[in-house]
Amino acid sequence: MSQMPPANSAFEIASVLVVVQASLSFVAGLSALPFGLVEPGFRVLGVLTLLIAAAMFWLARGLRRGRRWAWGWLVTLEVVSLAITALLSLLPIGTMRGPVPLLVNLVIPLSVLVLLAAGSGDRPAQPGPAEPA
Amino acid sequence: MYDIAADHAPALSAAIVLVVFLWVFLRVMRLLAASGAALPTRVTAAFDRAPALTKLAAVLMLLSGAIHLALVRGHDGITGILFIIDGVGFIGLGIAAFITSWWRRLAMLWLTATIAAYIVWVIAGWETPDQVGIACKLIELVALGLVMRLNHPTRRTWPRRIWRATALPLISIVMTFGIWVGGLAHPDALHAHAGAVLQPVNAVATPEQGAAAARLLADTKVSLTRYGDPAVAIAAGYEPGPVSDADPLLHFQNPANAHAILDPNRPQALVYARTPSGLRLVGAMYQMPKVGQWGPDPGGPLTQWHQHEGICFSPFGFEFSFETPFWTCSVGSTSGTTAPMLHVWIIDNGKSGPFAAELDKAVQRELARRS
Repeated sequence: MSQMPPANSAFEIASVLVVVQASLSFVAGLSALPFGLVEPGFRVLGVLTLLIAAAMFWLARGLRRGRRWAWGWLVTLEVVSLAITALLSLLPIGTMRGPVPLLVNLVIPLSVLVLLAAGSGDRPAQPGPAEPA
Repeated sequence: MYDIAADHAPALSAAIVLVVFLWVFLRVMRLLAASGAALPTRVTAAFDRAPALTKLAAVLMLLSGAIHLALVRGHDGITGILFIIDGVGFIGLGIAAFITSWWRRLAMLWLTATIAAYIVWVIAGWETPDQVGIACKLIELVALGLVMRLNHPTRRTWPRRIWRATALPLISIVMTFGIWVGGLAHPDALHAHAGAVLQPVNAVATPEQGAAAARLLADTKVSLTRYGDPAVAIAAGYEPGPVSDADPLLHFQNPANAHAILDPNRPQALVYARTPSGLRLVGAMYQMPKVGQWGPDPGGPLTQWHQHEGICFSPFGFEFSFETPFWTCSVGSTSGTTAPMLHVWIIDNGKSGPFAAELDKAVQRELARRS
């Protein structure tokens, strides 16, 4: 069984959750593209979403390697994501109906934030050379 | 778009019960271990020794196992048998994670096979995707990601690296498209265009319902005669909605009528078609004040309300795309469900009829040609 120090484990779990988030964003970006054929707005949003998903994959990789910038960007992203979710939940548009939106929009971002906070104590001070993935 | 199937609801309770049970179980084991009992000491030691990734992966597999077992009752035949095998397998793997070293590869295979089987079942129409099923696959996806991180290959070849980097996104994409294909191949009778979910109604209209529907149509036509000129509608408080190249119709909404219920004198919106010769009034849209609150349908199946679910709205005018089964939209757009609505078309709406959820495509083409 592979043993890891607790702080690394927190980042490892967070990075897996971020990869799942990035995958779901990637799918959302892809699914918007066909609509972009007739809707110019979704052309832009679809491409933007794919770029953000790619950035999230990169951030997850950076987090696994203990990069400080990845930690900072992810905290910002998750806080923004949770804030938007909270705002949308206040609107009467049925944004959070059922377990799936609850997991995707609330539980996963919140878990990532908690894990990032839990692992932050042992975060490397320098963006030094990467350990092998 | 994806609700919770009635026979799947117990699975949610099972998941909550399992989490509470695991917490209580660990507390009891720790208490017994503190008093020197041999087995609880071994159990807590095995748990404490396991890395956090293993613990979480095990809990997620136990959750999936409990959900599968809770679903057996509503699934007959081969699906029910597979649910038992799957549930027992996941529970076995969840326990094996703490006491064996060989569980990881088997867990990866088991998780991948379960997700693949779900996609096959959905595409074949043997299972209808709902929120419990999709949430369960999400749990398995995270568990798979964790197990993959735990599995450190001895040989770091490029194919292995590429597989580790792309497996989760690939599975997410395949799962999403599989669920969509299943939805398209086996449409629900209560689903219409653009994520519109129809109000459940009786199959055949009674003569009274037919008369009531005709009355609603006539009253709406009379009421709308004054709004032929859009300027009159604007003066009466109707505000034109955003224009989209993708939608030949333009809705003028009147916020003052938001709380009127199916009142022909106070429809929530007027619908104009954009024709080469300008805007032409084609119908009214009645809308209920709240999401999920179906309106009165005097005409029964003839005046069936609908609400749009699983739609991503963008701020760039009246544009929309489909939400993924994971309830995600592209950045900048938001998932939304509209309050139930009923359209009444005051022009001949062809085969679709005067209360159809959308203006008939042939009528739309005719309007676009007409000058």
